[in-house]
Amino acid sequence: MAEMTRRERMLKASRRQMADRVPFFHNWRHCQQGWAERDCRNRGMGLSWARPSYTFTWHGVEVTETYESFTTATQTLRRTFKTPVGTISQVEKREPGYGQWHGVRGWRDVTPWQTERAIKGPDDYKVLKYMYENLEIEPDYFGLEQAKDWLGEDGMVWDWVPHAGLQLLMIDWVGSEGGRFFVHHARYPDLVEEMYHAISKAYEPLWEIAASSPADFFLLADNVDAVLVNPKLFKKYFMPEWEKCCTALHGGGKLVGVHADGRLAALKHLIPETPIDVIEALHVPQMGDLSLGEALALWPEKVIWTGFPGSVYALGPQATKRQALAMLRDMGTGERVCFEMSTENQVSNENLLALTSVLEHATLPLTPEKIDEIERSLK
Amino acid sequence: MADLKHLRALHEAILNMDLEGIGAIAQAAMDAGVEPQAAITDGMVPGMVEVGQKFEEGEFFLSELVVAGEVMKDGMKVIEPYLTVGAGSSDSKAKAIVATVEGDYHDIGKNIVVTLLGVQGFEAIDLGMDVPAAKIVEEVRIHRPAVLGLSALLSTTMARMGDVIEALKAAGLREGVKVIVGGTPVTPEYADSIGADHCALNAIEGVHKCTEWLIDLKEGK
Repeated sequence: MAEMTRRERMLKASRRQMADRVPFFHNWRHCQQGWAERDCRNRGMGLSWARPSYTFTWHGVEVTETYESFTTATQTLRRTFKTPVGTISQVEKREPGYGQWHGVRGWRDVTPWQTERAIKGPDDYKVLKYMYENLEIEPDYFGLEQAKDWLGEDGMVWDWVPHAGLQLLMIDWVGSEGGRFFVHHARYPDLVEEMYHAISKAYEPLWEIAASSPADFFLLADNVDAVLVNPKLFKKYFMPEWEKCCTALHGGGKLVGVHADGRLAALKHLIPETPIDVIEALHVPQMGDLSLGEALALWPEKVIWTGFPGSVYALGPQATKRQALAMLRDMGTGERVCFEMSTENQVSNENLLALTSVLEHATLPLTPEKIDEIERSLK
Repeated sequence: MADLKHLRALHEAILNMDLEGIGAIAQAAMDAGVEPQAAITDGMVPGMVEVGQKFEEGEFFLSELVVAGEVMKDGMKVIEPYLTVGAGSSDSKAKAIVATVEGDYHDIGKNIVVTLLGVQGFEAIDLGMDVPAAKIVEEVRIHRPAVLGLSALLSTTMARMGDVIEALKAAGLREGVKVIVGGTPVTPEYADSIGADHCALNAIEGVHKCTEWLIDLKEGK
Protein backbone atom coordinates (compact mmCIF):
# COMPACT_ATOMS: atom_id res chain seq x y z
CA MET A 1 0.00 0.00 0.00
CA ALA A 2 1.36 3.42 -0.91
CA GLU A 3 2.20 5.74 1.97
CA MET A 4 -0.61 8.14 2.75
CA THR A 5 -0.13 11.85 2.22
CA ARG A 6 -0.17 14.08 5.27
CA ARG A 7 -3.61 15.35 4.32
CA GLU A 8 -5.00 11.85 3.81
CA ARG A 9 -3.60 10.81 7.18
CA MET A 10 -5.18 13.73 9.02
CA LEU A 11 -8.53 13.21 7.32
CA LYS A 12 -8.56 9.44 7.86
CA ALA A 13 -7.92 9.80 11.58
CA SER A 14 -10.44 12.62 11.87
CA ARG A 15 -13.06 10.37 10.26
CA ARG A 16 -12.32 7.63 12.80
CA GLN A 17 -10.62 5.48 10.17
CA MET A 18 -7.21 3.82 10.47
CA ALA A 19 -4.43 5.90 8.98
CA ASP A 20 -1.03 4.40 8.16
CA ARG A 21 0.60 6.25 11.06
CA VAL A 22 -0.30 8.74 13.76
CA PRO A 23 -0.84 12.05 11.99
CA PHE A 24 1.22 14.89 13.38
CA PHE A 25 1.15 18.45 12.21
CA HIS A 26 1.99 22.01 13.07
CA ASN A 27 -0.47 24.89 12.97
CA TRP A 28 0.49 27.57 10.48
CA ARG A 29 0.29 30.40 12.96
CA HIS A 30 2.53 28.74 15.52
CA CYS A 31 5.03 27.12 13.18
CA GLN A 32 8.53 28.33 12.50
CA GLN A 33 9.89 28.15 8.96
CA GLY A 34 13.42 26.97 8.43
CA TRP A 35 15.73 24.00 8.35
CA ALA A 36 14.21 22.13 11.30
CA GLU A 37 10.66 22.65 10.12
CA ARG A 38 11.68 21.50 6.63
CA ASP A 39 13.39 18.44 8.09
CA CYS A 40 10.35 17.57 10.22
CA ARG A 41 8.03 18.01 7.28
CA ASN A 42 10.22 15.73 5.19
CA ARG A 43 9.85 13.17 7.97
CA GLY A 44 6.06 13.28 7.96
CA MET A 45 4.95 16.40 9.79
CA GLY A 46 1.92 18.00 8.17
CA LEU A 47 0.67 21.56 8.31
CA SER A 48 -2.73 22.88 9.19
CA TRP A 49 -3.96 26.17 7.92
CA ALA A 50 -7.09 28.02 9.06
CA ARG A 51 -8.90 30.41 6.75
CA PRO A 52 -12.46 31.68 7.10
CA SER A 53 -15.08 31.04 4.43
CA TYR A 54 -16.98 34.27 5.08
CA THR A 55 -16.82 38.00 5.61
CA PHE A 56 -18.63 40.15 8.19
CA THR A 57 -20.27 43.52 7.41
CA TRP A 58 -21.82 45.54 10.23
CA HIS A 59 -24.53 47.65 8.53
CA GLY A 60 -25.30 51.00 10.13
CA VAL A 61 -22.19 50.80 12.32
CA GLU A 62 -19.43 53.35 12.00
CA VAL A 63 -16.17 51.75 13.12
CA THR A 64 -13.21 53.99 13.86
CA GLU A 65 -9.77 53.14 15.20
CA THR A 66 -7.41 55.57 16.91
CA TYR A 67 -4.02 54.95 18.46
CA GLU A 68 -3.81 55.99 22.10
CA SER A 69 -0.12 55.18 22.04
CA PHE A 70 2.13 54.13 19.21
CA THR A 71 5.63 52.84 18.90
CA THR A 72 6.75 50.39 16.27
CA ALA A 73 6.98 47.83 19.08
CA THR A 74 3.71 48.32 20.94
CA GLN A 75 0.48 50.03 20.09
CA THR A 76 -2.60 50.79 22.14
CA LEU A 77 -5.60 51.07 19.88
CA ARG A 78 -9.13 52.21 20.67
CA ARG A 79 -11.82 50.82 18.35
CA THR A 80 -15.16 52.59 18.51
CA PHE A 81 -18.47 51.23 17.23
CA LYS A 82 -20.99 54.02 16.65
CA THR A 83 -24.57 52.96 15.98
CA PRO A 84 -27.93 54.76 15.89
CA VAL A 85 -28.67 53.41 19.39
CA GLY A 86 -25.36 54.31 21.04
CA THR A 87 -21.61 53.92 20.98
CA ILE A 88 -19.26 51.37 22.53
CA SER A 89 -15.51 51.13 22.39
CA GLN A 90 -12.77 48.69 23.28
CA VAL A 91 -9.01 49.03 23.70
CA GLU A 92 -6.48 46.51 22.52
CA LYS A 93 -2.78 46.30 23.14
CA ARG A 94 -0.64 45.06 20.29
CA GLU A 95 2.70 43.60 21.17
CA PRO A 96 5.92 43.26 19.19
CA GLY A 97 5.40 41.06 16.18
CA TYR A 98 1.76 41.96 15.58
CA GLY A 99 1.05 42.02 11.86
CA GLN A 100 4.28 40.22 11.07
CA TRP A 101 2.55 36.83 10.87
CA HIS A 102 4.02 35.14 13.91
CA GLY A 103 6.66 34.27 16.37
CA VAL A 104 8.63 37.25 17.51
CA ARG A 105 8.68 37.06 21.30
CA GLY A 106 5.25 36.27 22.54
CA TRP A 107 1.99 34.81 21.57
CA ARG A 108 -0.09 37.92 21.18
CA ASP A 109 1.38 38.80 17.83
CA VAL A 110 -1.65 37.20 16.21
CA THR A 111 -4.44 38.11 18.61
CA PRO A 112 -3.90 41.32 20.57
CA TRP A 113 -4.85 41.65 24.23
CA GLN A 114 -8.05 43.49 24.98
CA THR A 115 -7.34 45.78 27.89
CA GLU A 116 -10.72 47.52 27.92
CA ARG A 117 -13.92 45.73 27.05
CA ALA A 118 -16.66 47.08 24.80
CA ILE A 119 -19.41 45.95 27.15
CA LYS A 120 -18.79 47.82 30.35
CA GLY A 121 -22.29 48.19 31.78
CA PRO A 122 -25.92 47.34 31.08
CA ASP A 123 -26.44 50.27 28.68
CA ASP A 124 -23.88 48.83 26.27
CA TYR A 125 -25.85 45.69 25.47
CA LYS A 126 -28.36 47.46 23.23
CA VAL A 127 -25.50 48.69 21.03
CA LEU A 128 -24.00 45.24 20.65
CA LYS A 129 -27.45 43.80 20.00
CA TYR A 130 -27.98 46.35 17.24
CA MET A 131 -24.65 45.33 15.73
CA TYR A 132 -25.55 41.65 15.61
CA GLU A 133 -29.05 42.36 14.34
CA ASN A 134 -27.44 44.27 11.48
CA LEU A 135 -24.62 41.88 10.74
CA GLU A 136 -24.38 40.51 7.24
CA ILE A 137 -22.30 37.38 6.71
CA GLU A 138 -21.37 36.59 3.13
CA PRO A 139 -19.40 33.73 1.57
CA ASP A 140 -15.82 34.35 0.50
CA TYR A 141 -14.09 31.11 -0.42
CA PHE A 142 -11.03 32.58 -2.11
CA GLY A 143 -8.75 32.27 0.92
CA LEU A 144 -9.64 28.62 1.42
CA GLU A 145 -9.25 27.79 -2.26
CA GLN A 146 -5.90 29.53 -2.41
CA ALA A 147 -4.58 27.82 0.74
CA LYS A 148 -5.77 24.41 -0.49
CA ASP A 149 -3.99 25.01 -3.78
CA TRP A 150 -0.80 26.11 -2.04
CA LEU A 151 -0.76 23.37 0.59
CA GLY A 152 -1.88 20.49 -1.60
CA GLU A 153 -1.35 17.15 0.11
CA ASP A 154 1.12 18.59 2.65
CA GLY A 155 -1.59 19.14 5.22
CA MET A 156 -5.12 20.28 5.82
CA VAL A 157 -6.83 23.61 5.31
CA TRP A 158 -9.75 24.23 7.57
CA ASP A 159 -12.49 26.78 7.88
CA TRP A 160 -13.04 28.36 11.26
CA VAL A 161 -14.68 30.92 13.46
CA PRO A 162 -12.74 32.32 16.44
CA HIS A 163 -15.64 32.25 18.91
CA ALA A 164 -19.38 31.76 18.64
CA GLY A 165 -22.45 32.03 20.84
CA LEU A 166 -21.81 32.70 24.50
CA GLN A 167 -18.03 32.54 24.07
CA LEU A 168 -18.20 35.79 22.13
CA LEU A 169 -19.56 37.42 25.26
CA MET A 170 -17.35 35.56 27.73
CA ILE A 171 -14.10 36.01 25.86
CA ASP A 172 -14.50 38.97 23.53
CA TRP A 173 -17.20 41.50 24.33
CA VAL A 174 -17.69 41.28 28.11
CA GLY A 175 -14.55 39.35 29.00
CA SER A 176 -13.84 37.09 31.92
CA GLU A 177 -11.04 38.90 33.71
CA GLY A 178 -12.05 39.50 37.31
CA GLY A 179 -15.05 37.26 36.68
CA ARG A 180 -16.68 40.06 34.67
CA PHE A 181 -18.90 37.81 32.62
CA PHE A 182 -20.25 35.99 35.68
CA VAL A 183 -21.02 39.29 37.35
CA HIS A 184 -22.92 40.46 34.27
CA HIS A 185 -24.70 37.13 34.00
CA ALA A 186 -25.84 37.44 37.61
CA ARG A 187 -26.70 41.14 37.60
CA TYR A 188 -28.21 41.45 34.11
CA PRO A 189 -29.48 37.97 33.24
CA ASP A 190 -32.10 39.19 30.77
CA LEU A 191 -29.60 41.33 28.85
CA VAL A 192 -27.11 38.46 28.60
CA GLU A 193 -29.83 36.05 27.53
CA GLU A 194 -31.14 38.41 24.83
CA MET A 195 -27.63 39.06 23.60
CA TYR A 196 -26.83 35.37 23.38
CA HIS A 197 -29.95 34.77 21.26
CA ALA A 198 -29.14 37.74 19.01
CA ILE A 199 -25.63 36.38 18.37
CA SER A 200 -26.91 32.87 17.84
CA LYS A 201 -29.42 34.05 15.25
CA ALA A 202 -26.87 36.27 13.52
CA TYR A 203 -24.54 33.29 13.06
CA GLU A 204 -27.11 31.03 11.36
CA PRO A 205 -26.05 32.14 7.84
CA LEU A 206 -22.42 31.44 8.77
CA TRP A 207 -23.14 27.77 9.36
CA GLU A 208 -24.86 27.53 5.96
CA ILE A 209 -21.97 29.30 4.21
CA ALA A 210 -19.45 27.03 5.91
CA ALA A 211 -21.46 23.95 4.95
CA SER A 212 -20.91 24.81 1.28
CA SER A 213 -17.27 25.85 1.57
CA PRO A 214 -14.34 24.00 -0.04
CA ALA A 215 -12.99 22.98 3.41
CA ASP A 216 -13.36 19.44 4.76
CA PHE A 217 -13.17 20.54 8.36
CA PHE A 218 -14.61 23.41 10.39
CA LEU A 219 -13.18 24.53 13.71
CA LEU A 220 -15.18 26.28 16.40
CA ALA A 221 -12.24 27.87 18.16
CA ASP A 222 -14.22 28.24 21.36
CA ASN A 223 -11.34 27.81 23.85
CA VAL A 224 -13.52 25.67 26.06
CA ASP A 225 -12.33 25.35 29.65
CA ALA A 226 -14.60 24.07 32.40
CA VAL A 227 -13.09 26.53 34.83
CA LEU A 228 -15.06 29.18 32.96
CA VAL A 229 -17.70 27.09 31.24
CA ASN A 230 -19.37 25.17 34.02
CA PRO A 231 -21.76 22.30 33.22
CA LYS A 232 -24.84 24.49 33.65
CA LEU A 233 -23.59 27.06 31.16
CA PHE A 234 -22.38 24.31 28.85
CA LYS A 235 -25.78 22.64 28.73
CA LYS A 236 -27.76 25.83 28.36
CA TYR A 237 -25.65 27.75 25.88
CA PHE A 238 -22.97 25.60 24.25
CA MET A 239 -24.75 22.36 23.44
CA PRO A 240 -27.62 24.03 21.54
CA GLU A 241 -25.22 26.24 19.58
CA TRP A 242 -23.01 23.30 18.64
CA GLU A 243 -26.09 21.34 17.65
CA LYS A 244 -27.13 24.13 15.29
CA CYS A 245 -23.64 24.42 13.82
CA CYS A 246 -23.17 20.67 13.36
CA THR A 247 -26.60 20.12 11.83
CA ALA A 248 -25.73 22.54 9.03
CA LEU A 249 -22.13 21.44 8.59
CA HIS A 250 -22.75 17.73 8.74
CA GLY A 251 -25.41 18.33 6.11
CA GLY A 252 -22.63 19.66 3.89
CA GLY A 253 -20.41 16.66 4.65
CA LYS A 254 -18.03 18.59 6.89
CA LEU A 255 -16.29 17.48 10.03
CA VAL A 256 -16.60 19.83 13.00
CA GLY A 257 -14.07 20.31 15.76
CA VAL A 258 -13.99 22.41 18.90
CA HIS A 259 -10.87 24.00 20.32
CA ALA A 260 -10.98 22.74 23.89
CA ASP A 261 -7.52 23.19 25.34
CA GLY A 262 -8.57 23.76 28.92
CA ARG A 263 -9.60 21.56 31.80
CA LEU A 264 -12.47 19.37 30.62
CA ALA A 265 -13.02 16.89 33.46
CA ALA A 266 -16.12 18.70 34.71
CA LEU A 267 -17.65 18.41 31.22
CA LYS A 268 -16.46 14.91 30.42
CA HIS A 269 -19.90 13.32 30.64
CA LEU A 270 -21.57 16.06 28.60
CA ILE A 271 -19.09 16.12 25.72
CA PRO A 272 -20.27 12.75 24.33
CA GLU A 273 -23.79 14.17 24.11
CA THR A 274 -22.64 16.80 21.61
CA PRO A 275 -22.49 16.17 17.85
CA ILE A 276 -18.91 17.50 17.63
CA ASP A 277 -16.55 15.19 15.68
CA VAL A 278 -13.14 16.36 16.91
CA ILE A 279 -11.99 17.63 20.28
CA GLU A 280 -9.13 19.82 19.17
CA ALA A 281 -6.10 20.76 21.32
CA LEU A 282 -6.94 18.52 24.26
CA HIS A 283 -4.15 19.04 26.78
CA VAL A 284 -3.21 16.18 29.06
CA PRO A 285 -2.32 16.76 32.73
CA GLN A 286 -0.82 18.89 34.15
CA MET A 287 -1.96 21.53 31.66
CA GLY A 288 -5.32 19.79 31.30
CA ASP A 289 -7.12 17.42 33.64
CA LEU A 290 -7.96 14.45 31.41
CA SER A 291 -5.48 11.91 30.12
CA LEU A 292 -5.61 10.77 26.51
CA GLY A 293 -6.57 7.29 27.62
CA GLU A 294 -9.45 8.48 29.73
CA ALA A 295 -10.71 10.87 27.05
CA LEU A 296 -10.57 8.16 24.36
CA ALA A 297 -12.46 5.76 26.61
CA LEU A 298 -15.06 8.31 27.62
CA TRP A 299 -15.67 9.61 24.12
CA PRO A 300 -15.70 6.60 21.78
CA GLU A 301 -17.39 8.58 19.01
CA LYS A 302 -14.91 11.47 19.13
CA VAL A 303 -11.54 12.03 17.54
CA ILE A 304 -8.90 13.81 19.61
CA TRP A 305 -6.33 16.16 18.22
CA THR A 306 -4.05 16.40 21.18
CA GLY A 307 -2.02 19.54 21.77
CA PHE A 308 1.51 18.89 22.94
CA PRO A 309 1.98 20.54 26.37
CA GLY A 310 4.09 23.68 26.20
CA SER A 311 5.21 23.18 29.79
CA VAL A 312 7.08 20.05 28.69
CA TYR A 313 8.81 21.92 25.89
CA ALA A 314 10.15 24.24 28.59
CA LEU A 315 12.03 21.25 30.06
CA GLY A 316 13.88 20.48 26.82
CA PRO A 317 14.17 17.78 24.13
CA GLN A 318 14.67 14.78 26.43
CA ALA A 319 11.55 15.64 28.42
CA THR A 320 9.74 16.16 25.10
CA LYS A 321 10.65 12.66 23.95
CA ARG A 322 9.62 11.11 27.27
CA GLN A 323 6.27 12.89 27.20
CA ALA A 324 5.62 11.89 23.57
CA LEU A 325 6.32 8.24 24.38
CA ALA A 326 4.05 8.41 27.42
CA MET A 327 1.27 9.86 25.31
CA LEU A 328 1.70 7.14 22.67
CA ARG A 329 1.45 4.52 25.43
CA ASP A 330 -1.81 6.08 26.54
CA MET A 331 -3.41 5.96 23.08
CA GLY A 332 -4.25 2.27 22.80
CA THR A 333 -4.00 1.25 19.17
CA GLY A 334 -3.67 4.90 18.20
CA GLU A 335 -6.50 5.54 15.80
CA ARG A 336 -8.75 8.52 16.59
CA VAL A 337 -5.75 10.64 17.58
CA CYS A 338 -3.76 13.34 15.81
CA PHE A 339 -0.82 15.19 17.36
CA GLU A 340 -0.62 18.94 17.11
CA MET A 341 2.97 20.03 17.65
CA SER A 342 1.89 23.10 19.62
CA THR A 343 -0.94 25.51 20.15
CA GLU A 344 1.50 28.19 21.26
CA ASN A 345 4.49 29.83 19.63
CA GLN A 346 8.11 29.34 20.41
CA VAL A 347 8.65 25.64 19.87
CA SER A 348 12.41 25.46 19.55
CA ASN A 349 13.97 23.62 16.64
CA GLU A 350 15.42 21.09 19.11
CA ASN A 351 12.02 20.35 20.60
CA LEU A 352 10.33 20.12 17.21
CA LEU A 353 12.97 17.64 16.07
CA ALA A 354 12.68 15.68 19.33
CA LEU A 355 8.92 15.29 18.99
CA THR A 356 9.26 14.36 15.33
CA SER A 357 11.88 11.73 16.19
CA VAL A 358 9.21 9.91 18.20
CA LEU A 359 6.15 10.45 16.05
CA GLU A 360 7.75 9.69 12.68
CA HIS A 361 7.94 6.03 13.69
CA ALA A 362 4.43 5.76 15.16
CA THR A 363 2.86 3.49 12.57
CA LEU A 364 -0.65 2.22 13.19
CA PRO A 365 -1.95 0.23 14.85
CA LEU A 366 0.26 1.05 17.82
CA THR A 367 1.40 -1.76 20.08
CA PRO A 368 3.43 -1.66 23.30
CA GLU A 369 6.23 -3.50 21.47
CA LYS A 370 6.25 -0.93 18.69
CA ILE A 371 6.52 1.91 21.22
CA ASP A 372 9.35 0.07 23.00
CA GLU A 373 11.10 -0.13 19.66
CA ILE A 374 10.65 3.60 19.10
CA GLU A 375 12.10 4.24 22.55
CA ARG A 376 15.13 2.06 21.81
CA SER A 377 15.69 3.86 18.52
CA LEU A 378 16.04 7.16 20.36
CA LYS A 379 18.99 6.01 22.46
CA MET B 1 -31.06 35.66 69.40
CA ALA B 2 -32.14 38.52 67.12
CA ASP B 3 -28.49 38.93 66.15
CA LEU B 4 -28.28 35.27 65.30
CA LYS B 5 -31.23 35.60 62.94
CA HIS B 6 -29.55 38.44 61.07
CA LEU B 7 -26.17 36.75 61.00
CA ARG B 8 -27.80 33.64 59.60
CA ALA B 9 -29.57 35.73 56.94
CA LEU B 10 -26.27 37.32 55.90
CA HIS B 11 -24.64 33.89 55.73
CA GLU B 12 -27.51 32.53 53.61
CA ALA B 13 -27.43 35.54 51.29
CA ILE B 14 -23.79 34.82 50.47
CA LEU B 15 -24.37 31.10 50.09
CA ASN B 16 -27.42 31.62 47.87
CA MET B 17 -25.69 34.37 45.87
CA ASP B 18 -28.59 36.70 46.63
CA LEU B 19 -27.48 39.82 44.77
CA GLU B 20 -30.94 41.35 44.87
CA GLY B 21 -31.55 40.75 48.56
CA ILE B 22 -28.21 41.40 50.23
CA GLY B 23 -28.65 45.18 50.46
CA ALA B 24 -31.89 44.90 52.42
CA ILE B 25 -30.59 42.02 54.54
CA ALA B 26 -27.47 43.94 55.51
CA GLN B 27 -29.49 47.09 56.22
CA ALA B 28 -31.93 45.14 58.39
CA ALA B 29 -28.99 43.79 60.40
CA MET B 30 -27.62 47.29 60.94
CA ASP B 31 -31.07 48.66 61.84
CA ALA B 32 -31.47 45.88 64.40
CA GLY B 33 -28.22 46.93 66.07
CA VAL B 34 -26.05 44.02 64.99
CA GLU B 35 -22.39 44.92 65.52
CA PRO B 36 -21.05 45.73 62.04
CA GLN B 37 -17.84 43.79 62.67
CA ALA B 38 -19.89 40.76 63.74
CA ALA B 39 -22.06 41.10 60.63
CA ILE B 40 -18.92 40.70 58.58
CA THR B 41 -16.91 38.14 60.53
CA ASP B 42 -19.77 36.03 61.91
CA GLY B 43 -22.27 36.53 59.07
CA MET B 44 -20.80 37.05 55.64
CA VAL B 45 -17.32 35.58 56.07
CA PRO B 46 -18.61 32.16 57.20
CA GLY B 47 -20.86 32.28 54.12
CA MET B 48 -17.82 32.85 51.93
CA VAL B 49 -15.97 30.05 53.73
CA GLU B 50 -18.82 27.68 52.93
CA VAL B 51 -18.85 28.81 49.30
CA GLY B 52 -15.09 28.21 49.23
CA GLN B 53 -15.57 24.72 50.64
CA LYS B 54 -18.20 23.90 48.04
CA PHE B 55 -15.83 25.18 45.35
CA GLU B 56 -13.07 22.94 46.69
CA GLU B 57 -15.40 19.97 46.69
CA GLY B 58 -16.45 20.63 43.09
CA GLU B 59 -20.06 21.40 43.98
CA PHE B 60 -19.64 25.07 43.09
CA PHE B 61 -17.76 26.48 40.12
CA LEU B 62 -15.93 29.70 39.47
CA SER B 63 -19.17 31.49 38.60
CA GLU B 64 -20.56 30.84 42.09
CA LEU B 65 -17.31 31.93 43.73
CA VAL B 66 -17.31 35.18 41.77
CA VAL B 67 -20.98 35.98 42.34
CA ALA B 68 -20.77 35.18 46.07
CA GLY B 69 -17.84 37.62 46.19
CA GLU B 70 -20.02 40.25 44.52
CA VAL B 71 -22.77 39.67 47.07
CA MET B 72 -20.23 40.17 49.83
CA LYS B 73 -19.04 43.41 48.21
CA ASP B 74 -22.62 44.71 48.06
CA GLY B 75 -23.15 43.77 51.71
CA MET B 76 -19.93 45.55 52.67
CA LYS B 77 -21.15 48.73 50.97
CA VAL B 78 -24.07 48.80 53.41
CA ILE B 79 -22.13 47.77 56.51
CA GLU B 80 -18.89 49.73 56.09
CA PRO B 81 -20.34 53.15 56.99
CA TYR B 82 -21.32 51.67 60.38
CA LEU B 83 -17.81 50.47 61.17
CA THR B 84 -15.98 52.62 63.68
CA VAL B 85 -12.45 53.74 62.89
CA GLY B 86 -9.97 50.98 63.57
CA ALA B 87 -12.51 48.20 63.43
CA GLY B 88 -11.69 45.54 60.89
CA SER B 89 -8.10 46.68 60.71
CA SER B 90 -5.94 44.31 58.76
CA ASP B 91 -2.74 45.24 60.60
CA SER B 92 -2.49 41.86 62.26
CA LYS B 93 -3.10 39.82 59.11
CA ALA B 94 -0.32 38.16 57.19
CA LYS B 95 0.05 39.67 53.76
CA ALA B 96 0.14 37.86 50.46
CA ILE B 97 0.92 39.61 47.18
CA VAL B 98 -0.44 38.00 44.04
CA ALA B 99 0.23 38.97 40.42
CA THR B 100 -0.02 37.70 36.87
CA VAL B 101 3.40 38.23 35.35
CA GLU B 102 4.32 40.64 32.59
CA GLY B 103 2.98 39.85 29.13
CA ASP B 104 0.11 37.74 30.43
CA TYR B 105 -3.46 38.99 30.70
CA HIS B 106 -5.06 35.96 32.31
CA ASP B 107 -6.40 36.38 35.81
CA ILE B 108 -9.01 33.71 36.48
CA GLY B 109 -6.73 31.44 38.53
CA LYS B 110 -5.10 34.41 40.23
CA ASN B 111 -8.48 35.79 41.24
CA ILE B 112 -9.57 32.48 42.71
CA VAL B 113 -6.38 32.48 44.77
CA VAL B 114 -6.99 36.06 45.92
CA THR B 115 -10.54 35.22 47.01
CA LEU B 116 -9.52 32.05 48.83
CA LEU B 117 -6.56 33.74 50.52
CA GLY B 118 -8.96 36.34 51.88
CA VAL B 119 -11.24 33.60 53.14
CA GLN B 120 -8.25 31.99 54.87
CA GLY B 121 -7.42 35.18 56.75
CA PHE B 122 -4.68 36.68 54.61
CA GLU B 123 -4.62 40.29 53.54
CA ALA B 124 -4.38 39.55 49.84
CA ILE B 125 -2.85 42.33 47.74
CA ASP B 126 -3.80 41.82 44.11
CA LEU B 127 -1.42 43.56 41.72
CA GLY B 128 -3.44 42.54 38.67
CA MET B 129 -2.26 41.31 35.29
CA ASP B 130 0.74 42.06 33.08
CA VAL B 131 2.82 43.18 36.08
CA PRO B 132 6.52 43.84 35.40
CA ALA B 133 9.11 42.25 37.69
CA ALA B 134 10.30 45.66 38.91
CA LYS B 135 6.78 46.56 40.07
CA ILE B 136 6.39 43.26 41.93
CA VAL B 137 9.75 43.72 43.67
CA GLU B 138 8.80 47.25 44.66
CA GLU B 139 5.51 46.05 46.17
CA VAL B 140 7.35 43.31 48.08
CA ARG B 141 9.72 45.95 49.42
CA ILE B 142 6.80 48.11 50.57
CA HIS B 143 4.48 45.47 52.03
CA ARG B 144 6.94 42.77 53.14
CA PRO B 145 4.44 39.97 52.50
CA ALA B 146 4.78 36.47 53.88
CA VAL B 147 3.87 35.06 50.49
CA LEU B 148 4.29 36.12 46.87
CA GLY B 149 2.09 34.31 44.35
CA LEU B 150 2.97 34.50 40.66
CA SER B 151 0.62 33.32 37.92
CA ALA B 152 1.04 32.65 34.20
CA LEU B 153 -1.23 30.87 31.75
CA LEU B 154 1.10 30.72 28.79
CA SER B 155 4.29 28.73 28.36
CA THR B 156 5.61 31.83 26.62
CA THR B 157 5.12 34.03 29.70
CA MET B 158 5.96 31.65 32.53
CA ALA B 159 9.64 32.48 32.08
CA ARG B 160 8.83 35.89 33.56
CA MET B 161 8.24 34.18 36.92
CA GLY B 162 11.92 33.28 37.00
CA ASP B 163 12.77 36.89 36.19
CA VAL B 164 10.82 38.02 39.26
CA ILE B 165 12.67 35.57 41.52
CA GLU B 166 16.01 36.74 40.17
CA ALA B 167 14.97 40.36 40.70
CA LEU B 168 13.97 39.58 44.29
CA LYS B 169 17.40 38.03 44.88
CA ALA B 170 19.12 41.05 43.35
CA ALA B 171 17.11 43.33 45.64
CA GLY B 172 17.98 41.24 48.72
CA LEU B 173 14.31 40.40 49.30
CA ARG B 174 14.17 36.73 48.36
CA GLU B 175 14.84 35.30 51.82
CA GLY B 176 11.99 37.16 53.45
CA VAL B 177 9.18 35.85 51.28
CA LYS B 178 7.84 32.47 50.20
CA VAL B 179 7.31 32.38 46.45
CA ILE B 180 4.55 30.20 45.08
CA VAL B 181 4.03 29.89 41.33
CA GLY B 182 1.08 28.53 39.41
CA GLY B 183 -0.88 28.46 36.19
CA THR B 184 -1.74 25.90 33.58
CA PRO B 185 1.73 25.31 32.07
CA VAL B 186 3.68 25.51 35.33
CA THR B 187 5.00 22.19 36.62
CA PRO B 188 6.84 21.35 39.86
CA GLU B 189 9.96 20.65 37.79
CA TYR B 190 9.74 24.07 36.23
CA ALA B 191 9.08 25.73 39.60
CA ASP B 192 12.22 24.03 40.96
CA SER B 193 14.25 25.15 37.99
CA ILE B 194 13.47 28.82 38.63
CA GLY B 195 13.93 28.60 42.40
CA ALA B 196 10.32 28.93 43.54
CA ASP B 197 9.33 27.53 46.94
CA HIS B 198 6.26 25.73 45.65
CA CYS B 199 4.27 24.99 42.52
CA ALA B 200 0.53 25.28 43.08
CA LEU B 201 -1.14 22.38 41.30
CA ASN B 202 -4.36 24.37 41.43
CA ALA B 203 -5.72 27.36 43.31
CA ILE B 204 -7.02 25.33 46.22
CA GLU B 205 -3.83 23.35 46.78
CA GLY B 206 -1.84 26.55 46.49
CA VAL B 207 -3.87 28.33 49.13
CA HIS B 208 -3.56 25.33 51.45
CA LYS B 209 0.22 25.59 51.08
CA CYS B 210 0.10 29.29 51.93
CA THR B 211 -1.95 28.49 55.03
CA GLU B 212 0.62 25.88 56.08
CA TRP B 213 3.37 28.48 55.70
CA LEU B 214 1.32 30.92 57.76
CA ILE B 215 0.98 28.37 60.58
CA ASP B 216 4.72 27.70 60.41
CA LEU B 217 5.36 31.43 60.55
CA LYS B 218 3.16 31.84 63.61
CA GLU B 219 4.88 28.92 65.28
CA GLY B 220 8.25 30.48 64.49
CA LYS B 221 9.38 27.64 62.21
